[in-house]
Amino acid sequence: MFDLAIIGGGPAGQAAAEIACAAGLGVVMLDEQPRMGGQILRQPPATLGVRDWLPGATYDDLKAQLHRSEALDGLDWRGGVSVLGLFRDADGFQLLATGRDGRLTIAARRVLVAAGCYDMPTAFPGWTLPGVMSAGGVQAFLKSQQIVPGKRFVLAGTHPLQLLVADQLRKAGADVAGVHFAQGLGAMVGQLLRDPLLPLGNLRPFRDAAAAFVNLRRAGVAVRFGQRLVRAIGSERLEAAEFADGTRIACDVLATCYGFLPQADLPRQAGCAMQRCERTGGLAAVIDRWQRSSVQGLSAAGETTGVAGAEVALREGRLAAIGILLADGLLSESEAERRAAPIRRELAKLQRFADLLARIADPRTAIAGLADDATILCRCEDVTRGALIRAIRATAGPEDASALKLVSRAGMGVCQGRSCEHAVRALLAEQGAAPGGGFTARFPARPVAIADLID
Amino acid sequence: MSHRVATHHPEPILIRVDGAEVTALPGEMLASALLAADQPVFRADLEGQARGMFCNMGTCGECFVTVEAPGRPARRLRACLVPVELGMVVRRG
Repeated sequence: MFDLAIIGGGPAGQAAAEIACAAGLGVVMLDEQPRMGGQILRQPPATLGVRDWLPGATYDDLKAQLHRSEALDGLDWRGGVSVLGLFRDADGFQLLATGRDGRLTIAARRVLVAAGCYDMPTAFPGWTLPGVMSAGGVQAFLKSQQIVPGKRFVLAGTHPLQLLVADQLRKAGADVAGVHFAQGLGAMVGQLLRDPLLPLGNLRPFRDAAAAFVNLRRAGVAVRFGQRLVRAIGSERLEAAEFADGTRIACDVLATCYGFLPQADLPRQAGCAMQRCERTGGLAAVIDRWQRSSVQGLSAAGETTGVAGAEVALREGRLAAIGILLADGLLSESEAERRAAPIRRELAKLQRFADLLARIADPRTAIAGLADDATILCRCEDVTRGALIRAIRATAGPEDASALKLVSRAGMGVCQGRSCEHAVRALLAEQGAAPGGGFTARFPARPVAIADLID
Repeated sequence: MSHRVATHHPEPILIRVDGAEVTALPGEMLASALLAADQPVFRADLEGQARGMFCNMGTCGECFVTVEAPGRPARRLRACLVPVELGMVVRRG
């Protein structure tokens, strides 16, 4: 029996592990990736030689934490493992997971879910063509696999991260045909100016985005504003991206970047109180001031509690671990508060910037009306927007997302609704139905072979 | 066409994908080997339309393929999460 099981090897999990191990807790960390790092520092396999991996100040603090956490003696690292479910019992939790060698069960008194986030899947005509990928997925090929996953790249969306991805692609020798923001430059600057006291120059994400913008411009890569992506064109694979003004740009990869949704399957399955993310429609775990969820013994940190970036995640991980030491009686109330105080101050500042970034990247106007009736919303079960509208309008139509799932199959596939749920809920709202709390979260959180579940 | 950018890497190995030999680097993910071999189509949907990589982080399930590796039973696995191994046999679709 472990004292603490940490799900997710990103900054939040790493930071929590360091504090928990230092206090003598028995800690296990599980992650689907073979190496620790999370998506932000997704590491290449040890077999590949990489010169100057992820250079820049943005990554330096995060790398320092990663190196410390990888070196923790008391940490039981389990890479390449997918957690399928969390089950509460008298002593704590049973985690059911699978890896390449089959099923494993892990018992832990407490659980910290620090599962990160994923790119918001955005449906538009042609988005199921091979070559249309999420920007984070494209970036992961580059970061962790040292592969430029195509020849000619178009980036489109509303999130400034696409500037960084485009610049990283360019540096790796890719042909970047352009970066396209659906919103106007004026709207983005307007958001910045609404809070003129923000010292933007001190904040790395903004500085990095600005530097990437300058690099791209110098290299002759077009960065366009007010250019709304409307369609991907191709037959067997992607051939071009089309924009609202009729412009077509030939490409074999279209990377879309509209923001991120929390990885929240496990807290939802465990019955944690959740809240809706206003701009993206994702669901985030509700937490108290020690990162504790509404379920006894289950904490959450980082993007699982709302997408705010790696720097926030790292600090939330620290706070979660201090909260666990407090609950275990290893720290007094005053000692815990003393250690938490500087972290809380940093978090308050960082959260303000995260909110600003979320306002700048707001995808709602850009994606409204993008999908037509023939567009697939549920990629797993091939359910189109038109089919969903027919199901909603049918006599005594479904009153919430779970009811709509039962009659339409949307959300029933291998992704468990991660790709379509936010779109299904937005469609329900658009059609005047109540979106409710989303699909009921079901075991398993990740796909598994039946043979791995039976003895 | 994708390309690799690692400064150095181990000797490539051969894996078998739908009967054809594909060159891969030990340790890289199966999805990477397929893209590097200019094979972006991973499956067909119910209408017969081609599908490929989407999220590349284990979340969407678009990259499911059937993988047989020496000493292990055949499994449907996400290609973005499976490191290639010598003797691996892969079926898409």
